[in-house]
Amino acid sequence: MHDVIEQKVIEIDMRGQVCPACLLVAMDKMNKNRDVLKSGEARLCIKTDNREATTTIPTTAKNMGYGVSVTKMDTYYRLCVGILAEEKD
Amino acid sequence: MVTGSLFLVYAVCFSLGIAAGFFMHRSDYCVAGMFRDAFLFRSTFMLRALFLQVVVTMVLFEIARLAGFLPLFPFPLLGFPSLSNIIGGFVFGIGMVLAGGCVVGTLYKMGAGSMVSGVAFVGLLLGSALYAEVHLVWASFMKATTFFKNSKSLPQLTGISPTLFVVFIGAVSLWFFLKWRKEGQWERPSDVTGYIQPWKTAVSLAVIGLLSYLAVGMPLGITTTYAKMAAMIENLFFPEHVSSVAFFQGLPLNIVHPATGAVLQGGAGPQFDSVWAIQFPIIAGIILGSALSAVLLREFAFRYKVPFSQFVMALCGGILLGMASRMAPACNVWHLMGGLPILAMQSILFLVGLIPGTWVGSKIVSQLILKQSLSTAGNS
Repeated sequence: MHDVIEQKVIEIDMRGQVCPACLLVAMDKMNKNRDVLKSGEARLCIKTDNREATTTIPTTAKNMGYGVSVTKMDTYYRLCVGILAEEKD
Repeated sequence: MVTGSLFLVYAVCFSLGIAAGFFMHRSDYCVAGMFRDAFLFRSTFMLRALFLQVVVTMVLFEIARLAGFLPLFPFPLLGFPSLSNIIGGFVFGIGMVLAGGCVVGTLYKMGAGSMVSGVAFVGLLLGSALYAEVHLVWASFMKATTFFKNSKSLPQLTGISPTLFVVFIGAVSLWFFLKWRKEGQWERPSDVTGYIQPWKTAVSLAVIGLLSYLAVGMPLGITTTYAKMAAMIENLFFPEHVSSVAFFQGLPLNIVHPATGAVLQGGAGPQFDSVWAIQFPIIAGIILGSALSAVLLREFAFRYKVPFSQFVMALCGGILLGMASRMAPACNVWHLMGGLPILAMQSILFLVGLIPGTWVGSKIVSQLILKQSLSTAGNS
């Protein structure tokens, strides 16, 4: 039996932003939302077109003990960080 | 090797630019980021690739020189070491971090659709034009603070053969390279499509630098043409002023290529000369090569919905970059990927200034971005 908890999504759009905004802001959000991310109450999803950040954010997030998914969207990438519930999208 | 034919110069430089832009986009080979992230995130992964590139370039150049393929050694446009190299490097370091890319990083990011880099590019042209106005003052400062008036490189200064330097530096570096290989530090996992591990791009860029040196007598350089493009635009509106600015009259490149007998002559003025023929195709090539890479990966898109403050930051960074490129003189690609491998003292001093400059830039940029992320972006 699993309790089905609706996971909140904290969405940030970093597309087109100057480096290193993506990694900096992602780390900042991970730190500020540590409690809800750690408990699985929410996950952090980042839209980015920055290839470097798409490589470095997952490494940083894994080091902090989070699960990470990377999905290639239309012309950008969507990274989700946290205790990841089943991806429905 | 190809300097006898203007068409060949264009064709070769354009091809080298396309290849460089393509590889840089795939690996996100951002020199500004390499130094910045070492300070901000203690991450030296990309900096290792740059180190590899410098050493491979050094070895390739030395082999080519010993084989007699580099009659112009040290290459043209390099000058005597001066305090201005350190100051130029310092300002350059701040500028490239604020602009989110160096003079080449700006090109490949713009090629993939980044408007922030587009604005930084405009800043680069503006900064180059601004420098032209203060050139005489700066040139006399440069002259007054010259350290050695008859040697351009460490081998020349010490009288020790370049081969000895290269063998020594190569051997020490090889030890590090093998150690990192053992520790698996050359590759990292990446989920982006078409990723090329940065060490491969480092080696490719070293080969591209060698091909450029063999073909046109110089490694990759582009910033004099930024000043030239600024002069061309200014010339449309204020032709009398442009013809009165001393910087635009100078011909820093004025040599006869020993292999072909071709006269290579040019400067920052608004005319089509050898500097234009060599550098402009590289600039165009890098933009197009990166755009090609992005289009093939279906990642190309114009990105302009960005906090306004980032455009301002990129513009300021671009202006600093443009000015510093002339103050140094020349850019990080020229110095790190061309001058440093032949141990040019100008390039060593440029690096000495660049490192603290990037540190200052990293402090400024992280403060600005985090402040702005609290107020606008990312609060959904």
